[in-house]
Amino acid sequence: MSAAPGRVVAGLLTAGGRAVTFRFDGRIFQGLEGDTLASALLASGERLIGRSFKYHRPRGIITAGPEEPCALVDVMTASGREPNQLATTLLLHEGLEAVSQNRWPSLAFDIRAALDRLSRFLPAGFYYKTFMSPGWAWERLYEPLIRRAAGLGVLAPVVGAHAEAAETLHEHTDVLIVGAGAAGLAAAAVLGASGLRVLLAEQDAALGGGTLLDARWQAWRERRRAGLVRVPGVRCLERTTVLGAYGHGVFAALEVLGAAERAAFGGLRERLHVIRAQRVLLATGAIERLIAFPGNDVPGVMLAGAALAYLRRYGVAVGRRPVFFINNDEAYEALFALAAAGITAAGVADVRPASHAAQRARELGVDVLCGARVTAVRGRGALRAVQVVTGEGGQREFAADCLLISGGFTPAAALATQLGSPLAWQESIAAFVPELAGAVGRVAGAARGVFGLAAAAREGALAGQAIAAELRGREVAAAAAAAAEAEDAGLPADAMATPMSPLWEVSGRGRAFVDLQNDVTSADVRLAHREGYEHVEHMKRFTTHTMATDQGRIGGLLGSAVLAEARGVPLSEVGQVKARPYVQPVPFAALAGGEVREHYKPKRRVALHDWHERAGATFVPTGLWLRPLVYARASSWEAVLGEARSVRRAVGITDVSTLGKIDVRGKDAARFLDFVYANTFSSLPIGRARYGIMLREDGMVFDDGTTSRLGPEHFLVTTTTANSTAVLEHLEFQLQANCRELDVLLTDVCDQWAQFAVAGPRARAVLSAVVGGRELSNAAFPFMAAGEATIAGVAGRLFRISFSGELAYELAVPASEAERIWLAVLEAGTPCGISPYGLDALNTLRIEKGHVTGAELNGNTSAADLGFARMLKPQGDFVGRVLSQRPALEAADRLQLVGVRPAVRTRRLRNGMQLVAPEAPTASLGYITSSTPSVELEGWVGLALLAGGRARIGTRLTGTSPLHDERLEVEIVSPHMLDPENTRVRA
Amino acid sequence: MLRIHCPWCGTRDESEFRYRGDAGRVRPAHEAGLASFSAHVYERANPRGWHLEWWLHVAGCRQLLKVLRHTQSHEIRWVGRAEEPAPLPEDCAP
Amino acid sequence: MSAPDLALAALPADILEVAAFGGAAPKLVRRGAEAWALPPLGRVSAAPAGLALAVRPERWLIVLAPQAGGTSAARWQGLLGTSCAVVELSAGLAAFFLAGAPAREVLKRGCRLDLDPGVFAQGSAAATQMAQVAVTLAALPGGLLLLTPASTARHLREWLMQVGRAFGIASVSDVTVAALSGEP
Repeated sequence: MSAAPGRVVAGLLTAGGRAVTFRFDGRIFQGLEGDTLASALLASGERLIGRSFKYHRPRGIITAGPEEPCALVDVMTASGREPNQLATTLLLHEGLEAVSQNRWPSLAFDIRAALDRLSRFLPAGFYYKTFMSPGWAWERLYEPLIRRAAGLGVLAPVVGAHAEAAETLHEHTDVLIVGAGAAGLAAAAVLGASGLRVLLAEQDAALGGGTLLDARWQAWRERRRAGLVRVPGVRCLERTTVLGAYGHGVFAALEVLGAAERAAFGGLRERLHVIRAQRVLLATGAIERLIAFPGNDVPGVMLAGAALAYLRRYGVAVGRRPVFFINNDEAYEALFALAAAGITAAGVADVRPASHAAQRARELGVDVLCGARVTAVRGRGALRAVQVVTGEGGQREFAADCLLISGGFTPAAALATQLGSPLAWQESIAAFVPELAGAVGRVAGAARGVFGLAAAAREGALAGQAIAAELRGREVAAAAAAAAEAEDAGLPADAMATPMSPLWEVSGRGRAFVDLQNDVTSADVRLAHREGYEHVEHMKRFTTHTMATDQGRIGGLLGSAVLAEARGVPLSEVGQVKARPYVQPVPFAALAGGEVREHYKPKRRVALHDWHERAGATFVPTGLWLRPLVYARASSWEAVLGEARSVRRAVGITDVSTLGKIDVRGKDAARFLDFVYANTFSSLPIGRARYGIMLREDGMVFDDGTTSRLGPEHFLVTTTTANSTAVLEHLEFQLQANCRELDVLLTDVCDQWAQFAVAGPRARAVLSAVVGGRELSNAAFPFMAAGEATIAGVAGRLFRISFSGELAYELAVPASEAERIWLAVLEAGTPCGISPYGLDALNTLRIEKGHVTGAELNGNTSAADLGFARMLKPQGDFVGRVLSQRPALEAADRLQLVGVRPAVRTRRLRNGMQLVAPEAPTASLGYITSSTPSVELEGWVGLALLAGGRARIGTRLTGTSPLHDERLEVEIVSPHMLDPENTRVRA
Repeated sequence: MLRIHCPWCGTRDESEFRYRGDAGRVRPAHEAGLASFSAHVYERANPRGWHLEWWLHVAGCRQLLKVLRHTQSHEIRWVGRAEEPAPLPEDCAP
Repeated sequence: MSAPDLALAALPADILEVAAFGGAAPKLVRRGAEAWALPPLGRVSAAPAGLALAVRPERWLIVLAPQAGGTSAARWQGLLGTSCAVVELSAGLAAFFLAGAPAREVLKRGCRLDLDPGVFAQGSAAATQMAQVAVTLAALPGGLLLLTPASTARHLREWLMQVGRAFGIASVSDVTVAALSGEP
């Protein structure tokens, strides 16, 4: 076990923390509760964390937060391996096992590091330009090789177990504050005091932002934090990153749960918050920038602010002999803090001629070189020395174990640009600054280029007051601001700072990286320019600059600056690459939330579901419904045909409750149905049902079903199961958009009624035993009769309609009575040999009869194609009327519905089999839509859509299924293959 | 994601609504003939700008709404009932 | 045994939808008022016999104690006359009652409405979606009433039991309409 030589003082987040044991690359380490993996590794003196994406260069830790480009690791969990976790945000816990990435066989000795020596031959675009021919080799040879050589983490199948542990929360708030630094906390206090609902999202494990790094601000921070807890309308979410802005006040945020809450929620890891806010306040701060110089990626090079964070937050000194390379006064805070902990900087290269902070550093005895810049570093796996050129041109070399750099600060503007904010160049900080429209929200603090904690707190309070004034009125806002201000008396003032001086790149021998994660150098950016990629977004795509998971947060602007220099224009003209959602990588499992596995989509179950299950049914999903396919463990033709045979020879019962049912009432109900159906319903007598077809406005068939007239102004429409939702929406749309003058009420009664079809030659005998108050003879209740009936003592409805082609009835009872009535029918039918049948048997029966379903009503078939031309009413308007009479729909070679039988009866048909003329075997004339072995006819029967099909009845064609390597001769017959005279249904 | 202010139910997520097409068009009388219906069903201005749309609030009141939406910014300027005349801006596509 | 933090109960009820024909809604409200105060849109009202919810314009859902033989629809049609349609939905909708302090916090996991008690206050009613299925929601004094189509009732119940687990949800015995129809 390694000791922790880097832990030099008590850290804000780790003080008093228990010791935690973890593993990195198989070695055992110890850290403290509150550590991140990065801080614990730094405390143990580890510098080398991984190998880079393209060149396999050794890389260390650059930052202390989510903007980290290099310190990515794979984490081994009970459920597998999770790649690309940021060591800088990964909270340490007992037993954590992390593995470095992109190296083989080990981190210290990586065989592919040889790629680095070849780097001059591997510029941006190299792979695409080089591995061009032969064409086959890209997919089979080059790409697999390159993919193995490049990359970061290893994707292993962890999805299964991970997917369980996430959920989605729908949030509503008046104001969303992104970032709980000085600006965010100050704004939250004002907004909370105004009585507004506030959601304060902070990506860090602790509220405070920049105040966590300055001991003088501790009292203020604690006061604010305690104050916010007392306001009921304010909620603070820690470890919560706002991932993206989606317009209309909608934001997505990812919360990583803390240990206690994780345990309470059964191991839940993440929450996706979908936030709807009236206003947003972006207090996202600014991100310290890299400087491009040769060797700026050697382990030991780190941002100065990160060194400060490791010291304050975790008590960790990132080195014993730090050298600084900086261009602003803020970066000296790390130097002063390290000095206070007893670690004196070996030297400072400040690019400016002079500064306040440089003077203070000199007073501490530090060797500060002004007007200087770092030109090279020594050391490969770890930094050993830093070479500096002074303002006067002199050379200096400092022995060092770390180089702390700062190129200035860039406002974190990703969310603002997603909200459409323009970016304005601000010369004083050499960065682009966002601004939001007032109706959307505000930007405050460092996020809009106002640096210094006191300034940020003032800005935050003002922004909070402005938003409160808009939402609650001026007086309320002013009172709240005054109350908050009273608590701010005696705040520490910001130090006088000498302005920063931009420095983007130091040229010299060796590569200077602008994007550390994607291994993009300043030379790559220049190459992009030479090749004509002048726009920053084109340069991005050519070089992959900022296209890694960190989106170039610390180096993005460097690429723009190099491009600006190459183009010879000011940086303000080049702009910066647009950051996209998500601002940070998100596990897919977190996006899926709770909607996985059995909750992936809802299941609709019929009232009799449990009975079907007990009867051994295999279910088939139909839309959201679960329908019994066949009453057997697995569907086999034997079982299906057994059920179908029972219907043809005796009697069967099937559950058709999933059909859509729409109650239509009103004095204009009949007129409305005449408008939405192609055929006429106003002439339908009370107590009768009629088959109807509904067209879309483009003239194609939309849906079919029977509609019954239950009273003068009362109809019941049934739809297909698949289209039930769409038909209801279609009817509601037509009623409200095109028939506003009609007095009609539509009510969805689908779930109210359980509906069963009882079909077969003995159906009347069975139903006579259970139906009361109605005679079922042909005279009293003929084919297509409909009406109320008492069924086994329950008030229900009876319809004499048939989908199977047999004598059949459908009975409808309230769904709550479904099982009782079903069992009563089964009992009454036992002497007749009744058996239940599923969807497959129903399909066999309807194919024999030539009835169509979704396979034929496929959206491309017209009424004429299906043989329904005569149903279209000749007079009056209806949906689809005009376009159904388009000349093109009357063409003789339209695909028309026909029946198909194999010429050799023992051969089988297949759905999707193409129909071709024997002399032109590759020219499809049509295809088989449905097929089944027949009960009543010999061999297989099918329905097909065939060009000019009706004229081909009586001829023979070839059925071919190249996929199965099958060809057979088929007879084209009428689709009504069974009982075309309808004697059975009228029996 | 759009948030649509339903005049009946209040502001709701887009996922509660079903888009039902261009509300700037009036269905022709059937006597108007093939050309009128072809134009009604198939021809669209597809503007970059203001667009009057039908949205059916299927998960709420099941009422048909007229929504005036900007196709580029997604701003929704007005939502009304099916029968209300929309306050069309000058630059709204016909 | 002490009461659970969060209790999910079924609510056996007769449910009717009353829908006014064109222009008849005001008349209907006046006529209904003799027996029942039909609430304005977005509200739930109570009378000794049950609850009335308005989540669609000029339509009301009436939740009543179950009557043997399903005579409620006919009785209400008689009461309200021919200016409206009374549609029987007793078997088409399932009713649940979710009671306990964390109820709204649990529903946030699948409901996109703003359920803050200051916004969706007692007496509010709304039609929306929850766990991807249609739900009509009403805030009553003791908890939240949820109506969902009968075919999705099991899905909704299973989902509630899962997301409620961390909040100590328990399935409890049925509640009665009478118990809920205290004035909200």
